[in-house]
Amino acid sequence: MKKLLLSSLLPLLGVAALLAAESKPRVVTVTLPTETARLADSPLPGATLATALCYTCHSAEYVLTQPPASSRTYWKNTVIKMQKTFGAPIPDAAIDPLTDYLVKLYGAERAPAR
Amino acid sequence: MLPRRRFLQASGLLAAGAVLGRSSLARAADAASATSPRLTLPFANGERELVAYPQKRPLIRLTSRPPQLETPFSIFNDGVLTPNDAFFVRYHLSDIPTSIDLSTFRLRVRGKVNAELSLSLDELKRLATPVDLVAVNQCSGNSRGFFNPRVNGGQLGHGAMGCARWTGVPLRAVLEKAGVAAGARQVAFDGLDRAPLPGTPDFVKALDVDHALDGEVMLAWGMNGADLPVLNGYPLRLVVPGYFGTYWIKHVHDIEVLDRDFTGFWNASAYRMPDTPHHAIAPGTAPKKTVPIARFTIRSFITSHAEGATLPAGREARVRGIAFDSGHGIREVAFSGDGGRNWRAAALGADQGRYGFREWTIPFTPAARGPHTLMARALNRLGESQPLEPLWNPAGYARNVIEPVRIEAV
Repeated sequence: MKKLLLSSLLPLLGVAALLAAESKPRVVTVTLPTETARLADSPLPGATLATALCYTCHSAEYVLTQPPASSRTYWKNTVIKMQKTFGAPIPDAAIDPLTDYLVKLYGAERAPAR
Repeated sequence: MLPRRRFLQASGLLAAGAVLGRSSLARAADAASATSPRLTLPFANGERELVAYPQKRPLIRLTSRPPQLETPFSIFNDGVLTPNDAFFVRYHLSDIPTSIDLSTFRLRVRGKVNAELSLSLDELKRLATPVDLVAVNQCSGNSRGFFNPRVNGGQLGHGAMGCARWTGVPLRAVLEKAGVAAGARQVAFDGLDRAPLPGTPDFVKALDVDHALDGEVMLAWGMNGADLPVLNGYPLRLVVPGYFGTYWIKHVHDIEVLDRDFTGFWNASAYRMPDTPHHAIAPGTAPKKTVPIARFTIRSFITSHAEGATLPAGREARVRGIAFDSGHGIREVAFSGDGGRNWRAAALGADQGRYGFREWTIPFTPAARGPHTLMARALNRLGESQPLEPLWNPAGYARNVIEPVRIEAV
């Protein structure tokens, strides 16, 4: 009896579920918080390049949060990886100034903390 | 859309050789960040903002574009299911979907199949009987900030993990509906998230066809009884129980069955581990050969007491935590209140399934005043456990060393 009742109800339940599904919003939209992190200003030539190039694909924290001892080799390889592997339009002439800026502000060659 | 516009602006500026000074945007940013709550993860350069994203409570922000958020660790003491609004967020590419229309969303199944499919979410939900599974998702680089020597990449604390009850249909049901053709080797999964530049490799991951057909890998729309939050992959994501989060493709909309091994960047070059015992090599060295990252290593955490907590000496406290592995199941969690000299078995909490967090508790009385080092060490049904000394690999993946917590008895 129980079984019979359940099976006769099932199609109805199915419809109810469908109706509930249909009544849900079909478009879900979210608005992300404003991006706030910025790369630091610097008189180094790479500063302008970094601001113009890095933000194309990602926010500044990708740079800002790296370990303080990140080496010149790491930063150079990273710039080349962005150019070669990720297809960033980084001119070859920008690789060294970018590396210099990154390692001096966010790596092993940063000025000692005052 | 925003990233593309930014790109145009950025390349225009570069071409003109313009110098960007302290813009009003940057000043506004300084003002905003000065007011955000902050915390410091316990490694060098670990200062982070706590920011509330859509459908999320304030979480630890690693990056803002694309968003990468980790769960504040204290939340893991609230229960074995991580709330949706506290669940970590990890993207690779910054053109992420922020508006999703279910009337146009389709899951496509193509490639080496007998019949291609194009399914709406409602059609997918009706394709097979929905299943529930409690499973941990953990980022490959969870805890990377604790590697010594430090390694580059996302500098995460322990919060890029979470456990949820996922609801969906087995991937096998979908693949069987399409009919996997003879000679299929791998299945590749793509989500709606893309790169702002056309030359960037799209984030696509692949599983071996046997794995894809194992009946456990799931296409999930539900998380802890609700729709997936947008930032966790709404409306549909791949759930790969026991495997690192890199395979759990979010906003999945394209499944391609291949008669070859997938050679995309994110499979063939990224997310690789040294091909050595325990995937470890001498710190600071480079591996000779690598393999794709796969299953979780076994881990455990003390969640009830944070580093530097104080406990009354001579009074019994209850220490609590979580443990998980790649799905063999936690057999035992041992606890030490004296820095690893003596170990006792903790009581295990309810079993939510072999892929979930397993709660454990144990009474502990710090006899004397002063510092005490608490440790937990999990053991699974295979006999796998956690090392006392960390294993090292250059990408900072799969950390599973015993994580001591130093407390002070007063």
